Amino acid sequence: MTSETKKPIALITGASSGFGFETAKFLAANSYRVYATYRNSKKLKDLKALAAKADVHAVLMETTWTPSVEKAVLAVVKKERRIDILINNAGFAMGGFLEDLSDQDLKDQFETNVFGYLRVIRAVAPVMRKRGSGKIINVGSIAGRVSFPALGAYAASKFAVRAISETLRQELRPYGIEVAEVAPGSYLTQVTTSARYGQNVRSNRSPYREYTRQMEDLMAKEFAKGGLASDVAELITKALDDAPMKPVYLAGSDAKFMAFLKWLMLDVEFEFFLKRLIPWSRFPR
Amino acid sequence: MENRSVALITGCSTGIGFEASLVLARRGYLVFATMRDIKKAGYLRKAVKGLPVEILPLDVDQPLAARKIVSAIARKTGRIDVLINNAGFGAFGMLEEFTDAEIKAQYETNVFGLMRVTNAVLPVMRARKSGRILHIGSLAGKMTFAGIGLYCSSKYAVEALTEAMRTEVRPFNIEVAVIEPGSTNTPFKRNRHLSQKYQQGRSDYQSVLEKILAYGNAQSQKAPGAEQVVAAILKALGSRRMAVRYPAGFDATWFPIARWFLSDGVYDWVLKRMFRRFES
Repeated sequence: MTSETKKPIALITGASSGFGFETAKFLAANSYRVYATYRNSKKLKDLKALAAKADVHAVLMETTWTPSVEKAVLAVVKKERRIDILINNAGFAMGGFLEDLSDQDLKDQFETNVFGYLRVIRAVAPVMRKRGSGKIINVGSIAGRVSFPALGAYAASKFAVRAISETLRQELRPYGIEVAEVAPGSYLTQVTTSARYGQNVRSNRSPYREYTRQMEDLMAKEFAKGGLASDVAELITKALDDAPMKPVYLAGSDAKFMAFLKWLMLDVEFEFFLKRLIPWSRFPR
Repeated sequence: MENRSVALITGCSTGIGFEASLVLARRGYLVFATMRDIKKAGYLRKAVKGLPVEILPLDVDQPLAARKIVSAIARKTGRIDVLINNAGFGAFGMLEEFTDAEIKAQYETNVFGLMRVTNAVLPVMRARKSGRILHIGSLAGKMTFAGIGLYCSSKYAVEALTEAMRTEVRPFNIEVAVIEPGSTNTPFKRNRHLSQKYQQGRSDYQSVLEKILAYGNAQSQKAPGAEQVVAAILKALGSRRMAVRYPAGFDATWFPIARWFLSDGVYDWVLKRMFRRFES
């Protein structure tokens, strides 16, 4: 079906919904050929519909499993002999107070959000280096700058993504490869519905159950105000046109505001602000 | 119930953990100094002769090890006042070239291990509604450097865990902070892991990495020893309420401040110039 094309080839992970799906749509509309990876074939309906009418091709990829990543990347390279763009996006949020998470919960969070990104980079970067060109965008988060209670594991994984993007930008630049991070604030994607909760979060024996409830209320309010995933897709599409790409693109006014506050304020001031936002977090009398 | 304050420290065979056990014991703490390989306890044992230090084996990579040690200590003393999460190491190599096993090993110790020990200790601290937890992070948790990206990412994660945990455990009167050492002259160099690809001479970045490592070695050679980190630990423990971060050393204090003044674009340009000296 595919033939030698002059179109840039883009590989997007986690593209069956949310930012990944919207970005696939946008890039295809801007004359990229898109390889959109998915993990769960039950959630393939939207992607299949998109593939039927645009230059989008669904590829099975489980980013937590190296052979699956290698196989998917090899299939694309065999067909196209190159990958011009990589959008690392596949991820999820692990909710819960850190003490309520099991060892495995924490590992699962990193396995997808961090190690998964590194696996895809490991498979794609050599292909890009060989041609001396390429662009990599890692989807991070405002949680990669500000770490909230009940989302500590997620924030830790996104802090790590920030470090990875920054380092990779230096390491790959001599090979003509540009790396950037796109850090969205809260958006209406399935990150809330596909969120997982730590093992003891719902347990009656959790010492944090009342605080967890309050944090959930707070976050539900935040997410209800969230922007549209397509705005992030548009930003990603624009970022790819920048020459060179900026190191970081913050997406959404809330992300910009929080990042600005964190930059502006001393730690004590920022904590004071957080305490106003999170009234339960006080020292006992 | 033990009437002295009890401190639990991980990674005590050398470096920061070694020095911290010694100094805290001198200051009247009952110290439980743990290390992965108890065969390396010789030096510490000699150094702490006559001081209230108990040396125990603890491999933070093992899933249940921390819980066992902590419940033994709690049974004996009834309290743990201070936890210093120090066990960790640095993985050096280009980000693209680490194997799955290398990535996991880095996180198993620096991040998952840290959380295993913390989660084992928290119930003891919650029960008494008091306690202080110090994570040994790094300047590498605030800024990244080519050739140590994996290590940086693990230390960035520690910063995030510290920030979230501070708020989460505050209602139980438990305080959390991160100590951020810069370049320090400790056996960190000897204990580091070099990527297999580099070790086997198969890295596509062989000469770049060689220069980065040489540069890092030279930096740490002229850096102060673990004392400056212990000074930061004492400052944290001595404060009425602990701050979020305690940088230790000139670079750890001033580099992030310099970074604060620069826009992303300018800072990126600085990094580009720095990286260029490792090329060609």
